[in-house]
Amino acid sequence: MATQQKMSRLKKTRIVSQTVFFLLFLFLLTRTEYHGRDTIGYPVKVFLELDPLVFLSTLLSSHTVAPGMFLSFIVIGITVVLGRGFCGWFCPLGTMNDMVGALRRKKVPKETRLDTHGVKFKYYLLVGILVAAVFQFHFAGVLDPVSLIIRSFAVGIAAAGDYLTHSLFGLLYGTGVGAVRAVSEPVYEFLRTHVISFEQRSFVQGTFIGLLFIGVLALNFVRKRFWCRFLCPLGALLGLLSRFSLLNHKLEEAACDDCKLCLTTCAGGARPNAGGEWRGSECVMCMNCESICPQQAIRWQFGRPKPEFRRTDLKRRYLLGAGVGGLAGLAIMRVSPARGHADPKLIRPPGSVEEPEFLRRCVKCGECMKVCITNGLQPTLFQAGLEGMWSPLLVPRIGYCEYNCTLCGQVCPTDAIVELDLETKKHTRIGQAFIDSGRCLPHAFGLDCIVCEEHCPTAPKAILFEHEIVADEEGERELKLPYIDPKQCIGCGICETVCPVGGEAAVRVNSVGEDRSPTNRFLL
Amino acid sequence: MDRRSFLRTLSVGIIGSQVIDPRELFASLPAGGTLGGPALSVVKGADPTAATGAAIAALGGMGKFVSRGDVVIVKPNIGWDRTPEQGANTNPAVVAALVALALEAGAKKVKVFDNTCNTDRRCYERSGIAAAAKAAGADVFFVEERKLKKVDLKGEKIKEWPVYTDALEVDKIINVPVAKHHTLARVTLSMKNLMGLVGGNRNLLHQKIDVNVVDLAGYFKPTLTVLDAVRVLKRNGPQGGNVKDVEMRNTVAASTDCVAIDAYGATLFGMTGDDLGSVREAYGRGLGEKDLSKVNIIEKSLS
Repeated sequence: MATQQKMSRLKKTRIVSQTVFFLLFLFLLTRTEYHGRDTIGYPVKVFLELDPLVFLSTLLSSHTVAPGMFLSFIVIGITVVLGRGFCGWFCPLGTMNDMVGALRRKKVPKETRLDTHGVKFKYYLLVGILVAAVFQFHFAGVLDPVSLIIRSFAVGIAAAGDYLTHSLFGLLYGTGVGAVRAVSEPVYEFLRTHVISFEQRSFVQGTFIGLLFIGVLALNFVRKRFWCRFLCPLGALLGLLSRFSLLNHKLEEAACDDCKLCLTTCAGGARPNAGGEWRGSECVMCMNCESICPQQAIRWQFGRPKPEFRRTDLKRRYLLGAGVGGLAGLAIMRVSPARGHADPKLIRPPGSVEEPEFLRRCVKCGECMKVCITNGLQPTLFQAGLEGMWSPLLVPRIGYCEYNCTLCGQVCPTDAIVELDLETKKHTRIGQAFIDSGRCLPHAFGLDCIVCEEHCPTAPKAILFEHEIVADEEGERELKLPYIDPKQCIGCGICETVCPVGGEAAVRVNSVGEDRSPTNRFLL
Repeated sequence: MDRRSFLRTLSVGIIGSQVIDPRELFASLPAGGTLGGPALSVVKGADPTAATGAAIAALGGMGKFVSRGDVVIVKPNIGWDRTPEQGANTNPAVVAALVALALEAGAKKVKVFDNTCNTDRRCYERSGIAAAAKAAGADVFFVEERKLKKVDLKGEKIKEWPVYTDALEVDKIINVPVAKHHTLARVTLSMKNLMGLVGGNRNLLHQKIDVNVVDLAGYFKPTLTVLDAVRVLKRNGPQGGNVKDVEMRNTVAASTDCVAIDAYGATLFGMTGDDLGSVREAYGRGLGEKDLSKVNIIEKSLS
């Protein structure tokens, strides 16, 4: 067995890079929140903008590209010249996979069919996604690693972390011990102002999306970077782009004593060992092989790769199958009535483009849900069809659209939600409120209320009253019966949020009347 | 504005008002003093800070209400995500002036908070109150669920209700409402402003709002009430949004009698105290005087 090697400089640099970018990722996540100013002021969507898969799939499906997304050419350029280093050096999901993978027992893996053929699966997945995108079906966001990790953090992992933090400090406060509070309260104040979300967030499907993410991490116990090796469509895209890259693994076969340590530590499925049939497109450039080799037989050098080194042997038959699969998937999802008949509960955030185009752009990253100050933006399940799963909708019973806020449009990476200036936003109709007179306190029970009118933010208000003189045991009095002026109502949903009638509110917002749709209307 | 410049402006207001009319020194005798009836000061002035200082001075100065070492709550209306010009929240300068005066009078701590209607962080920010009150030396914080405690308010309608602990562990409450239109209560003044001290499903309190707000007033018994009528929201209340609905009145009124001050507030809208259910109710329960002719009104103009 080899003696313990010191970590090579390249590997150290890689770890530093991963640490820096992962911390940056977390920092930007904490900035995806209202911090007292009406603009975010940080490039919180930059990881998505750097993502070539988001760029390519959005371009194919919507034929538009948000200006920031041209940043992805940096990653494309690096990959073409140097190789798939994005996965090993920058990708926050790759970094988390490495962290979990490090917990795994190290032994020389026995290569199975999963390793020989499984690595190809992600390419077929990529082909399926891109073929579907050509037919304007945008599925990339569900599987894109950047989108996946942001979404999982935004609605699952970060919310769970918040829960632990809020609970812990709640417990400390609950002790009632002054000395404990004197320490815990300032720390808590700092954390909730700068680090965690200011208030506990809750998300429909938050548990499910969080568990899916934990599942992705758990797969590292089957294979290191299972996700990156077998599933990641971005990894596949970068693998293809790296086909002719100039920085290459070089094994000095004469010096190699075939200990296979490199194979043990390989983070991808690249087979760096002698006789392993090196697969460059699978290499995430983690530099583990170079670092661990006791004979120092592995080097990285510039030069044209040997063509056979780069080959990932994709079968035409499967490629065709993947394309057909993409089409079939698209077709089966389009059977949903969601496209033609807007779900009344599908209230999109203000600035959202028309629904078909929205679906072509949205990558389900969850940035808008993370930033929404009232927690009202939630991931859809079937409201927009399976095609639109995890795209945002406003659930007014949970939170309304804050009248003076434009944050969701600022963080959307693909302009599915266009950034609106505040004045435009205030006049953008996202739905219409309806009073349910069978539940409304004044209408149904003759009780005073007007809470909806009080909170209605438009000037003049969209909720008005009819006055009626009613008599009860205390004598005659004037009762105010609310009704809605559809010309003023913008569907922000604050009336539904604050309606004192528990359970189903007595005033509810539907998507009908939304400005973005020429068909989802009720007024002439 | 920092604390020092506050005090400077305040002293201008206080000294100025005393110098202008010496009779007011007499008029500012203790409430229920020689003239009988509660005292109510009404000061007009373009500078809200000076007007606030003068209104308090006319009642005998903050030292009469706040003792050394007191924990004081200055309770403004920070209910809405609106700017000061829109008149939906208490004027930040009035709040800051009261904070500075209370600290000057020896308060150990002055707390400023409100249970808001729009998102609290946005309301605190855009109302300008958080920044102004902090600069004046107050502790400004948000209402949190975990700091609510169920207590028996012993009200007519409200029995057990979650109240913010800071409002329970306090020596003096200075209530600082802004005068504005409200569709249900007609106008919203001091008693309704106390809703910001409680949690729970407050929206249920709109059933019998006139009784409920009097329950709150009877429970919290604010030491002093200062009515901000610098800008008065006349229509589209309580959150407004259109500055055309706002009328500049440049007035600050103060009294220990929350009923008298709400009766005075009604006059800003062309009504009398008798037009307001909450004022009639509170008067009926002996919480204060609704008949302004029985109130010792001290009027001043600073300009």
